Amino acid sequence: MGMETIPHNFLTARLEDLVKWARRSSVWPATFGLACCAMEMMATGAAHYDLARYGMEVFRASPRQADLMVVAGRLSQKMAPVLRQVYDQMVEPKWVISMGVCASTGGMFNNYALVQGVDQIVPVDVYVPGCPPGPETLMHGILTLHEQIRSGPLLARREAGRGAGIQIEQRDGQSPSGLAVAARSA
Amino acid sequence: MSANAVPMSQWPSDHRYTIPVAGDQDMVTVTIDDKVVQVPRGQLLIAAAQEHGTYIPRFCWHERMKPVGMCRMCLVEVEGMRGLQISCATPVVDGMVVRTESAPVKAAQDGVLEMLLINHPLDCPVCDRGGECPLQDQTLAFGPGESRYVEEKRHFAKPIPISDLVMLDRERCIQCGRCTRFAAEIAGDALIDFGGRGGHTEVITYPDEPFSSYFSGNTVQICPVGALTAKPYRFRARPWDLDSVETSCQACAVGCRGALDSTSNRLVRLLGVDSEPVNHGWLCDKGRYGYEWVHSEARVRAPGLRRGMELEVTSWPQALDAAAAALRRVRDEHGPGAIGVLGGARGTNEDAYAWARFAKGVLRTDNVDAQLADGLPADVVLGMPRATIADLDRARAIVLLGPDLKEELPVLALRVRRAAVDLGVPLIDVAARDHGLTSSAAHVIRHAPGVVQEAVDQVASIIDGITGDGPVVVVLGRPSVAEPAAATIHAASQLAKSHGARFLSALRRGNVHGALDLGLAPGFLPGRVSLDAGRDHLSATWGGTPDATGFDATGILRAAANGTIKALVLVGCDLLTDFPDRALAREALSAVERVVCVGAFPDDSAERADVFLPTGVWGEQAGTTTNLEGRVSVLRRKITPEGRTMEGWRIAAELAARLGSDWDLETVEEVQDEIAQAAPAFAGVDAALLRRARDGVVLPLADHLDEVTFVPATPGAGVSWEPLRPAADEVGNGEVAAPPAPAVALHTWSMEAPAPAAAPRDSYALRVIAARTLYGNDRVTSESPSLARLATSDARLLVSARDRDRIGVEDGTVVRVTSPRASVELPIHVDRSTPEGFAFLATNRDGAGASDLIDLDAPVTDVRVETLS
Amino acid sequence: MGRLSGFRVTLAQVFKPKVTEHYPKEKRPKPERFHGRHVLNRYEDGMEKCIGCELCAGVCPAKCIYVRGADNPPDAPVSPGERYGFVYEINYLRCIHCDLCVEACPTEAITESKLFEFSFTNREDAIYTRDELLVDDEGRARRQPWELWHGGEDDRTSAWMRATAPSGSAEFEGRVSWSGELGFGVRLGEKGQSEESSP
Repeated sequence: MGMETIPHNFLTARLEDLVKWARRSSVWPATFGLACCAMEMMATGAAHYDLARYGMEVFRASPRQADLMVVAGRLSQKMAPVLRQVYDQMVEPKWVISMGVCASTGGMFNNYALVQGVDQIVPVDVYVPGCPPGPETLMHGILTLHEQIRSGPLLARREAGRGAGIQIEQRDGQSPSGLAVAARSA
Repeated sequence: MSANAVPMSQWPSDHRYTIPVAGDQDMVTVTIDDKVVQVPRGQLLIAAAQEHGTYIPRFCWHERMKPVGMCRMCLVEVEGMRGLQISCATPVVDGMVVRTESAPVKAAQDGVLEMLLINHPLDCPVCDRGGECPLQDQTLAFGPGESRYVEEKRHFAKPIPISDLVMLDRERCIQCGRCTRFAAEIAGDALIDFGGRGGHTEVITYPDEPFSSYFSGNTVQICPVGALTAKPYRFRARPWDLDSVETSCQACAVGCRGALDSTSNRLVRLLGVDSEPVNHGWLCDKGRYGYEWVHSEARVRAPGLRRGMELEVTSWPQALDAAAAALRRVRDEHGPGAIGVLGGARGTNEDAYAWARFAKGVLRTDNVDAQLADGLPADVVLGMPRATIADLDRARAIVLLGPDLKEELPVLALRVRRAAVDLGVPLIDVAARDHGLTSSAAHVIRHAPGVVQEAVDQVASIIDGITGDGPVVVVLGRPSVAEPAAATIHAASQLAKSHGARFLSALRRGNVHGALDLGLAPGFLPGRVSLDAGRDHLSATWGGTPDATGFDATGILRAAANGTIKALVLVGCDLLTDFPDRALAREALSAVERVVCVGAFPDDSAERADVFLPTGVWGEQAGTTTNLEGRVSVLRRKITPEGRTMEGWRIAAELAARLGSDWDLETVEEVQDEIAQAAPAFAGVDAALLRRARDGVVLPLADHLDEVTFVPATPGAGVSWEPLRPAADEVGNGEVAAPPAPAVALHTWSMEAPAPAAAPRDSYALRVIAARTLYGNDRVTSESPSLARLATSDARLLVSARDRDRIGVEDGTVVRVTSPRASVELPIHVDRSTPEGFAFLATNRDGAGASDLIDLDAPVTDVRVETLS
Repeated sequence: MGRLSGFRVTLAQVFKPKVTEHYPKEKRPKPERFHGRHVLNRYEDGMEKCIGCELCAGVCPAKCIYVRGADNPPDAPVSPGERYGFVYEINYLRCIHCDLCVEACPTEAITESKLFEFSFTNREDAIYTRDELLVDDEGRARRQPWELWHGGEDDRTSAWMRATAPSGSAEFEGRVSWSGELGFGVRLGEKGQSEESSP
């Protein structure tokens, strides 16, 4: 972006605020409606709730023009690579809202077909609960995201997804199957 | 049946308890709900109906107890009989026509349930039984739906702790009498009973006497409501949280089948499963509540390596490398005989096999012993003619020639008691002091420790006077560790020769029989074959076997003490507390150069360890276990272990790999298959067979194939609560091909055992009887908070009242007890079980005690008792 | 005229009242039986209603509730009876607000408020603990700083609106069942209950 070289001082600090204000005032979502939550997402964009008030009425079909991915609905294992590809195609800075419990944790569908939380695929900034979340809940999430943008770092890239915080650790000297690899070579 | 008018209490016991075997008796034709079925004459209607698919609701009736007809829930209509009949106390007769669902029966069931619920509080949400409660279930299935009773229910103080483990809630009690009948009929210690009359009947304990039975947990399990709840499980989980697997208990060598429940990766409950050949659904409290130690904070959960004074946490490769390097150096410098392997009687069969293969096939040392000088010689245990627990029921006579079964093998004591009391088998009690089964014995023979010849002669003459065609079953164990096993074995050999006695081993440790069967004994190889007989067969799989017979545990420690043995591998044993001669153990541990500890707890011996390798334990690892009759049953894994422990057999395989022997074993099933192939006694007992054999298989399979009960279930799928009674075509060869004969002839005991020289009595000394009690300082008890409360951890000298008076002190006075070996100070107490001239010392106690006084070289241990000035 | 007909539609809308709601300054009124964030109720004397029976956890189709009971300390009981809810956690990233927990609860301990405006920036924050779910000393829901409360969302959170409660029928709207509850007080008897049987 060319701003990396600007040293931090009083002036640039205010400039940072300006950049952040601009960013959060025009977060353009990519369409990623996967299930019933997408209905509520559409309702949020319509007249009664009018996302245009936040400068985000333009749902972009092209990820290149989008800043925000609202994952609205349960993500199947088959869809997961597509989701990741769309996310990768979005340009920085970019944000992800996980809308609804299925997207956030798999919700009531604890089964083999669904990804148990899209944060295992992409880094999620805001989780919106509900099944589905109403437009107001989604807007609460969007406002939370605005606050994240306002208070967050300007230039940091997103960290990789943390999922449920589960880390699969490999035992020392063992393959994941529990069989010692080191011993074999010894 | 009804014609000869015998009172119900005197019915032949097989009508009360056992399920008659098809074909053994006359069958009668009974019509149950328009279904014509053939059932054995005299069977109870409720059982007959259940076997043919008609469930009659019941509360008081329990398959393993006498019917009482207290709850009136099982009323049925029998044609020709006036009024409704309780099916739990009505034996079937030919031509009986029974209706279990007619309008009068329905009305009666409604009425009974409405009455039971008059005073039953509807606090199911807080009740531990809620969700698995027979009263709930049967109210839903057979109940009226609404009650006409609107008055206030009865209220009592609740819950009342009637023992350290059991809580009583009288509001919930429906007076079915299951608990009181269990205590009186099955356990034989009626510490709980009914008091009051009519509407004021309530379950009581005797004043100032808690319900401190070793079997109290069974009453909680069979209570059809939540009136009795167990403190360890109280409010820990609800039934729908639980996930169950069927497994075997390893707290002692009986190997009771149980359903192990866990929630959130914590074990919370063990319930007895009705296994016809083993435990009949009962468990002892130590087994039932002894799961808590698995979660003990004291457990070692990461490998440790000694650096300086401390065992430092390290990684597995480093720890294994260090252990392998230490053993390799000792082997290369001093030869394989300089390594001793002790223990291994607490793990799975797979662990035992892997350690045997590691010791004998890789290290090539025969200095291996799973028993710590507190059992019987492997030669006897592996070679004696064996009996099964079921043989007790049809025995001509049962001879107790071993320890106090109630203290060491509690559920076996229940089975012996049942055979003696209910089935009328003469029980001959040969012991030095009274014990838990003495009151059930027909003949009581007392002898001095180490002097058994007279007693054996008496037993022989008693047996000669008993007619019957069953075998004479001798329960053979080590009555006291204060003297060598020679006298007991001599007695056993005489009974074997004169009466063809069959033996039931009374060794105690969880899997000691599996360890011995799989070669963790000097002079033996896996599969009950001696070193010489099995050398060629095992070498084919292993690539080598030890050259010469090694030492047993005592020999190993002596050799270690005098410097012949340089390295010790301790597999799940703590020499300083388990070995009966503590001085020798201490000397050996300080003399050896290298100690590799494999275990779960940082015990006293681990202080000396150079490397500590933590193993998974019961409930955390799958495998098989062998019980005292030689029954191999499946252990299932229920929880994922915390930390970085490894299965025992895997540790052995890793060490072997580092010593240049790749076994290519990756799963427990592969180990089982290798055992079936390599160990002659295990011929045919492979993973596929074990998966399907519900109650396990008794070794050798060829002799016991027709006793195997097969289940169609896949492994790990649910729990089958009822004893399985397969139809004839599902038994034996119909299901499995005839097992291959053992590749090598199995070891047999020569029955030659010389009588030890009788030790002269010193009239000033007390002769020590040293044995274990159920609760002591063992890890299962001390690391399970619920059981630790029950244990007395301080050592006491128990003597008869006259001996105490002769010494002239009060109960509890500390006296000096001097043996030729050492002198310790112990409080003295009067004990009614101990005869004059003897003193009883429990071995599993903290601090100075029995193991300081005992000299393993001496034929007996005599002590002098002096008052302190 | 064809080209301009579209403008007629637009023009017609100009004079209609605006429907847009200015969230977050204002919120739509919630329906009476709206399923929102849960509250754990207390009795009038301050005792917790939850007895830790885990029926809610058992019935939950999303397995979002984690409850563990414990022995009530006899000297300072948390709830009436032997057992109380020692751990009570709801994961709002699993909860589908189906209200089956409310139906299952034998003591009306768990009910749902109408608050539905909350969101989280990580998964841990979405797990509400017993302290956060319990009502305060006034019987009102504790308003967490990350939730957007606009007044009336915790009115009538009581269990009167359970589908299985007798008062679940319309004529009993607003009249809650008989248990004395913090914030709602001792209530009138319901249909089928005499006044005397209310405490």
